[in-house]
Amino acid sequence: MNLRKAAEVLPFIAPVQALVLGVIVIPSAFVVWMSFHVSSFGQAPQFVGWANYLKILTDPAFLRSLGNTFLIVLTAVHVELLVGLGMALLFASGLPWRRYLLVAVLAPYAVSEVTAVAMWRFLFDPDLGPVTMVLQSLNLPILDWSFEPSHALIMVGLLTVWLHLPFTFVILYAARLAIPKDLYEAAFIDGATRLQAFAKITLPLLGPAIVIALLFRYIFAFRLFSEVWLLTGGGPARSTEVVAVYLYEEAFRFNAFGTAAATAWIMVLISMLLAAGYVLILRRETAADAY
Amino acid sequence: MSRIDDFRFTRRALLGTALGGAAMLAAPRAFAAGKTLNVLSHKVHQTVLTAGKSGDLLEGWRKANDAEIVWSTFDSNPLQDRLFREASLGETEFNVGFLIDNRPTAQIASLFEPLDDYLAKAPIEDFKDIAPGLVQAMTIQGKLIGIPVRHATQGLFYNEALLEEQGIKAPPTTLEELVEQAKKLTFKSAAGTPVVGMVLASDLAVFPVMFARAFGGDYITKDFKLVPEPEAMEKGLSVMKDMFDAGALPRSYATTSNDDQVTWLQQGRAAFTVLPFARNAQLNNPQQSKFPGRIKAVEFPISSALKGKMPMSAVVESWAMTILKNSRNKDLSWSFLREVSTKRATLGMANSGNGPVRVSTYADPDFAAANPLAAVEAKVLAHARGAFPPFPEAARAQSIFLEEVQLAVLGRKPVKQAVADIRARVQPLLPA
Repeated sequence: MNLRKAAEVLPFIAPVQALVLGVIVIPSAFVVWMSFHVSSFGQAPQFVGWANYLKILTDPAFLRSLGNTFLIVLTAVHVELLVGLGMALLFASGLPWRRYLLVAVLAPYAVSEVTAVAMWRFLFDPDLGPVTMVLQSLNLPILDWSFEPSHALIMVGLLTVWLHLPFTFVILYAARLAIPKDLYEAAFIDGATRLQAFAKITLPLLGPAIVIALLFRYIFAFRLFSEVWLLTGGGPARSTEVVAVYLYEEAFRFNAFGTAAATAWIMVLISMLLAAGYVLILRRETAADAY
Repeated sequence: MSRIDDFRFTRRALLGTALGGAAMLAAPRAFAAGKTLNVLSHKVHQTVLTAGKSGDLLEGWRKANDAEIVWSTFDSNPLQDRLFREASLGETEFNVGFLIDNRPTAQIASLFEPLDDYLAKAPIEDFKDIAPGLVQAMTIQGKLIGIPVRHATQGLFYNEALLEEQGIKAPPTTLEELVEQAKKLTFKSAAGTPVVGMVLASDLAVFPVMFARAFGGDYITKDFKLVPEPEAMEKGLSVMKDMFDAGALPRSYATTSNDDQVTWLQQGRAAFTVLPFARNAQLNNPQQSKFPGRIKAVEFPISSALKGKMPMSAVVESWAMTILKNSRNKDLSWSFLREVSTKRATLGMANSGNGPVRVSTYADPDFAAANPLAAVEAKVLAHARGAFPPFPEAARAQSIFLEEVQLAVLGRKPVKQAVADIRARVQPLLPA
């Protein structure tokens, strides 16, 4: 493209470029700059090099929050995938009152996270919650989430799965409906069992959709915040904190903007690393489809 | 020509509509008053000044100054965050901000207008009547940066009906009695409600500090001595742990919030709690409480060993009005501060549930008659002090303190070790 042509095109693409620059590039660059400084209200930023990154990566609270985040993300995302896949196959196999059931399955996605946490807090209240009382009446162990950190993490995981299952389900269900029936008819004529049809037809053809669902959910789940913040506030004794809560504390409670900015960049890098494997798979599949 | 063509949007139409819309939105503000004062505060500040029992206390000021007040209200922490953000900008639309007394470090104080000159030029009515301790909390490096407007002094609230149900005739006068009564009040009430002796939020330093002070200890003193009496802190935390082990603090202690304290007391789920005296009206509100008129308050009791030897020093938190240094129209802001600080406005706010910062308000016979807790609150306020002084790492230090307190109370760390760890972890954060 010559210079004159570029000058003609520029006015048309400039608004988009300006928007991307103003909303993403400049703020990101500012956060990078901030991550190398010590800064708070009423205090001029002071350059400290990598000190903020070093401080975070040696802070036991950060390492614990990172461990909690990995645990919840890896568990919740894969549980969502398994349950979402099972439900997609069930719906595709033909269910009575499918429309109504679809509404029921998708409903949690319409509930705001704040409302969902308030609802779950009420249901699982360790003293008076209806679910707790039912479990106690059946002599079953209760979810002691306000006292036991492990129970609190299980509760956060369950809540995350409940809230985001519809997302995974919708992607997989749509992909499953797109598989032509002819393939199954041909397979069954050739004597394939249901399991073989699933392994040889359904799973390979759902592959790209599964990768997309996992990719998005990994990135979204790594930002997990409100479920933990509203349920336990990161307690007891910061034992259920996740990385986003750690960042919030640094930025908005301790007003340490340098370490908060460094935490944000560490989050971005980890999210990218988590997603990188799936992006590679996706690229390979896209490239294979091109031939 | 089709109907769609008739309604087609042209650039001219779009521009005209946008300009017209903007003009309409701007018009009411422009015509309502000559001046606008933007105030950043908590909702409670707005309510006691404009919509409390005493009505609109600022009506006269607005008319006299031809000014409209635009309130932007937030919860405490988000409010302080927004206030500091606005004050850090090159220029802000906000004129007046409400500041908590444990926030103004030297850096924070530099964001606000020093008020000494304003006070000299246009004095506040009987300024010496405002509690000197509260004024001192807003005097940073010799400069007055805020005018106290509200204090929240902590008292011990109890549900009289539950005490009677368990045969307890009077509220406790020593900490040991409080523990004993709290244990006795951990039961299933006649109404079938499981009751815990005491409910406390776990995310505020106020409560462990009160328990430590009951034994003559403290968390951080005004001159930055950290845990000056470790044994007293150990005793305070041991009492809390003992109550937790006995079920007299709820099992959900670690996730209990300040709002839970109010609702648990209103619903009869807890017999005791520690809250500002100003919460009395809310706790006894017949529309919210199952025990209107039966929730009462006394001074938080000191331990039996210190009873009569020294006064109990309850925790007090105060709010002050500041003028943002980067704001405009500072004379109007000062005029607002003066009006809110008058004896009339202080009394009016107090009648609407605001902790009055003027000593004379407590002496007002009508106020004392209408507020059964006024006398006890005034007595407690005389010896009250903040939970800890302001310093740059105060929030992080509080977080560490609470983490260790929770570990000790829940039994995940021996009390002695938790206190030692508080000292080791918080010390590096204190000012040199």
